[in-house]
Amino acid sequence: MATANPIDYLPIIIQFIVAIGFVIFGMIGSHLLGPKKHSKVKDDSFECGIEAQGNARLPFNVKYFLTAILFVLFDVEVIFMYPWAVNFRDNLGNGTWFWEMILFVVFLMLGFLYIIKKGALDWD
Amino acid sequence: MKAIIILSALGLATMFVGVYNFKKALLPMILLGLLAVIGINTMEWNTNIHYYNDMLYFDNWAVSFTNLILAVSILVFLLSGQYFKKNTDHLEDNYSIIIFTIIGAILMVSYSNLAMLFIGIETLSISLYILAGSKKTSLASNEASLKYFLMGSFATGFLLFGIVLLYGASGTFHLHGIKDYVIENHASLPTIFYVGILLMMVGLAFKISIVPFHFWTADVYEGSPTLITAFMATVVKIAGFAAFLRLFFTCFSSITEHFVPILCILAVLTMFLGNITAVYQNNFKRMLAFSSISHAGYMLLAIIALKESSFIAILLYTAAYSVATITAFAVLLMIKAAHQENDSIDTFNGLAKRSPFMAFTLTIAMLSLAGIPITGGFFAKYYLFANTISAGYTWLVVLAVFNSAIGVYYYFKVIIAAYFKEGSEEKLSIFPAYQLVLIITAIATLLLGILPGLITEMM
Amino acid sequence: MTDQITHIAKTIPIEHYIYLSAILFSIGVLGVLIRRNAIIIFMSIELMLNAATLLLTAFSTYRSDAAGQVFVFFIMVVAAAEVAVGLAIIVMIFRNIKSIDINLLNKLKW
Repeated sequence: MATANPIDYLPIIIQFIVAIGFVIFGMIGSHLLGPKKHSKVKDDSFECGIEAQGNARLPFNVKYFLTAILFVLFDVEVIFMYPWAVNFRDNLGNGTWFWEMILFVVFLMLGFLYIIKKGALDWD
Repeated sequence: MKAIIILSALGLATMFVGVYNFKKALLPMILLGLLAVIGINTMEWNTNIHYYNDMLYFDNWAVSFTNLILAVSILVFLLSGQYFKKNTDHLEDNYSIIIFTIIGAILMVSYSNLAMLFIGIETLSISLYILAGSKKTSLASNEASLKYFLMGSFATGFLLFGIVLLYGASGTFHLHGIKDYVIENHASLPTIFYVGILLMMVGLAFKISIVPFHFWTADVYEGSPTLITAFMATVVKIAGFAAFLRLFFTCFSSITEHFVPILCILAVLTMFLGNITAVYQNNFKRMLAFSSISHAGYMLLAIIALKESSFIAILLYTAAYSVATITAFAVLLMIKAAHQENDSIDTFNGLAKRSPFMAFTLTIAMLSLAGIPITGGFFAKYYLFANTISAGYTWLVVLAVFNSAIGVYYYFKVIIAAYFKEGSEEKLSIFPAYQLVLIITAIATLLLGILPGLITEMM
Repeated sequence: MTDQITHIAKTIPIEHYIYLSAILFSIGVLGVLIRRNAIIIFMSIELMLNAATLLLTAFSTYRSDAAGQVFVFFIMVVAAAEVAVGLAIIVMIFRNIKSIDINLLNKLKW
């Protein structure tokens, strides 16, 4: 495929139209066809189990924030491993290639050890 | 280069020594480490090695700026022992973050690839955002941190877009590659290249607080913990100007006509606004913040001149300025220890009676900042202005001298408060570490003023 | 396969990438200057960084030079670090004043 013509995107557009059309059709269709009965029990958010109370948008514990942020930090470091892994085969002869990544991971693990020692992952 | 590796190890060691509860050992370890790094770094003098595919280039300028940064950091660490005495909960965090800040600063003075400039600036800035907010319960510190963070990342955005546009035009991140590109395509540089220069200028101007990108400075300096302000006011200025000069001198010195007029306007605005606003300040920290803005204006003249000797000018000027600023903050810290968190200039009233030694060192520092002869500040200014005149910008120097005269007024306000105003009579006790710092800075200031040849001959 | 992608990407003129990134960048700048909520300012800053990243990838593809894409990795890591620190600062402030509207932060004036 040398050049991309606008016509090549037609299947994608058709798929979009089908997807959106189905949603609209479903919503309007069920609204028109379905019987409309309201009762206190039916409008409750949960029909079984414990009664719902309060707002769903509660402020939640900051501990979750810390865990989430630490996850993001350690997660992002993986992108440095991608280029390393992709070029791994070509660089097998390069003596330091493997150890460079080991060094990187050691630094990462030192950081991990630090947050454990600091108690950032303690729940109580 | 070795300096960066050893400092990284030192930073990690600091973290773990603190975690395993040897907090008493932290400060001696860091001070010894920094001294060792100065020694090892000095051995790279005249070696001119390109490291890691020309990512870093340790020429003599990089080595001397690194040493200056390390020396100033040692002074800050000497002050820190007393400062953190009451609150040692996060001692190791504070110390290790300061060390990582120093690493960022060293990257900024030794880069030869724009990627390293970016990493350096970000290492420096992100660490400083945390340090600015390190007084967690103080609202002022929180605000300073948030303000610094938002403005700093905003500046990073500009810097980054500038780097990208330069890359788009020249196809390389290496300073020498960009330089070759500029020389080859001297006549037909694309528009995105000029926009790139402009955006990088904006980004760097934010970091070194050049008017009109200075508005965060006073608030951040005032709100941050005083010790961190001392660190920010000195190390960031040194690293920022070294990075600015390195970029513009290496890459763009053949197309000065396109950006020097802008820099001239910025320099004039910075000098006037910094000095005139400083006159009206009653808070000592805010006054020093605006004085740092005006000094940034003077130092911009070295970048406008854009010659090899501009490096000496910046080195001398940042050295004199940093040493004097550290003195001022050390005295302020000591007075604050007695006066419970009051930064007003009135707290200096009667300082000469309370502690003649402190008043004397403060006077030397203020004279140096004002640029009065036999202090380091005078010679640094003289060299800077002479350098600018020889590049043909006499009118700028005239304005700068006029501004220095305004500066004398508010620096003398402090001296007058210390010597001629009545204040509390109670004697101030001086901590040994502070005494040491004040003696070192006073001697350094006088030495820079009397024997400036020590530095200029060396280069 | 990768060559094909590069080729298709190049069928769009480089100017279009520049315009798109410039527009995104400007939206980010405007967001920082106009909005008063710390989180939204922060999002605008991220938009500026991402505009730069997009343009960097485009230039890198056009020049068949991997350096630009490696730089993108660094930008992503730095942006993540910034997010971590920035959100921590905002949480710290929220604990103290129960709001993140920067107009409430007028102890130190702009």
